Amino acid sequence: MIYIVDHKDSFTYNLVHLFSKFDAVCIANYFEVNYSKMAKSKLIVFSSGPGAPNDYPATSEIYKKFKGRKKIIGICLGFQQILFNENGEISQQKKIYHGYQSKVKTLKTSALFKENKIFRVGRYHSLKLKEPFNSRETLVTMRCTETGVAMAFENTVSQVYGFQFHPESFLTQNGKYIIQKVLSA
Amino acid sequence: MKKNYYLDKLYNSNKPFIIYKVERGYDLFTDFSEKIVLNNKNINNFFHKINKLKKKNKFLNLYIGFFGYEILCNLNNVRIPKQKNLKFPKGIFYKPETKIQIRKNITIKSTYRNYSQLFENKTFNQTKVLSPFKINIDKDKYKKIFNRFTKNIKEGKTYQIKICTKYKNRSLINPVSLFWKLMKINASPESFMVKDKNYSIVSCSPETLINKKGNKIITKPIAGTLRKTKKTSVRGALSYFKNNIKETKEHNMIVDMERSDLSKICKPATVKISKVKYVEEYRHLYHYVTKIEGVIEKDVSIKDIIIAMMPGGSVIGCPKISTLNLLNCQERESRNIFTGSFGYIKSNLDMRFNIIIRSILNFKKISEISAASGVVIGSTAKREFDENYIKVKSLMDLF
Repeated sequence: MIYIVDHKDSFTYNLVHLFSKFDAVCIANYFEVNYSKMAKSKLIVFSSGPGAPNDYPATSEIYKKFKGRKKIIGICLGFQQILFNENGEISQQKKIYHGYQSKVKTLKTSALFKENKIFRVGRYHSLKLKEPFNSRETLVTMRCTETGVAMAFENTVSQVYGFQFHPESFLTQNGKYIIQKVLSA
Repeated sequence: MKKNYYLDKLYNSNKPFIIYKVERGYDLFTDFSEKIVLNNKNINNFFHKINKLKKKNKFLNLYIGFFGYEILCNLNNVRIPKQKNLKFPKGIFYKPETKIQIRKNITIKSTYRNYSQLFENKTFNQTKVLSPFKINIDKDKYKKIFNRFTKNIKEGKTYQIKICTKYKNRSLINPVSLFWKLMKINASPESFMVKDKNYSIVSCSPETLINKKGNKIITKPIAGTLRKTKKTSVRGALSYFKNNIKETKEHNMIVDMERSDLSKICKPATVKISKVKYVEEYRHLYHYVTKIEGVIEKDVSIKDIIIAMMPGGSVIGCPKISTLNLLNCQERESRNIFTGSFGYIKSNLDMRFNIIIRSILNFKKISEISAASGVVIGSTAKREFDENYIKVKSLMDLF
């Protein structure tokens, strides 16, 4: 089972549809998750959502509790939420990307994708990871080809992955493939 | 259109009736055996009642009416702080006993044998303007709200939000003559008219929110409006929308949001975009439209569908719930019907609902016309303020 933590976003059910191609999906609001059910799932997904990681201490709790015990994927806000808990700073962008299709490129650091692979992806984010961001385990693995903003990370030691873009958006090509790669990692 | 004695008599009477645009003409519903005024307490009863409708009469077993904006927020557990309001009902549904199909020919179907005699001897008002139209938010105030919402976008609290402005005058209206006048200039696909004894609505809504037949559901969000001039064409409008980053972003967001709303109630992997980003042409403007469809999951109820889809995202912004909260904290005046939904639910649970925009509500001698347009990064206060004006202009011109 895949457990999706919803941050009251209007894109979450696209994620549900995408993930249900792989396994049964359970979805709950971030403020009413069922820990024992979550403990039985094999994957936890943090959805996108409005606001900033500061607004969701409950999700940070879940992350701390299950990091290293379960595979975790963060999307958009979920991506930021994980980086925030890894001592990353999340800051406002000068140029804001809502409903944008951008090209992202994979880096040498990626264990899942070949280097220099280009994906066209849909973006909905006001905030970004402030860099430099230094972590031994959590590595930035994709960047926007235009601005260089961090678009994905992988932590292969604890099996934590994140995407700043939306794999479930109709603007993202190969979204299913990207998720499949993470699931089979 | 052919002259019809019964229709003429109906148009001139004070009898309540509803007209709804269909593909090849109009359906008119009257002789209401039930009128349900919705509130937060009886709405579940109403949904329950729909399931009890008898399936015998194919043409007339339906409830037709509207959900106002407030009750749709409440269904989503979104509260609205105290606002100025006229105490207009939160929603009203009617059960018609007579239906008149207005096509090339006129066909009348009724469960009453004596339907043609059912008139009181009273006539209805003529349109009379008692004071000129005034806007509730002036340009300066609008700019302030615009700047506040722009800040909210930068903070990530919302990705897109629609500011609503309202134009009001004091007037009496004859909704029938206004409606037919409007249909001559703009017979948009979701047009409707409601005439009751104490209020009336005239609308040329272009937007289909729900079209459900059997277990198949379609929604057709509109995001993107372009004013028509002598120089513009459908092809020109399409390339304008495609090359305009602001319109494209706004549209993309709505498409992903509506896909997600449909996915709440549809079987996994059935939600599909069936026609992406095309242009529909109207008398004064062009719209940028996408058609999305899905197959509804077995155990989903009418109430589930209403909550998942309403209020329609394209007129609110995104993400829906946090954006509704931002809007409701800012708006001092009730939206009433604006951005609610009008339509019907049949006994076989087929349904059709629009989004109530481009509409005149006349109640207590006040006519109100509202419009909303979107704050996204890249838009300007002046442009959006003016877009609202374009949207209401053709309606104000009717008076």
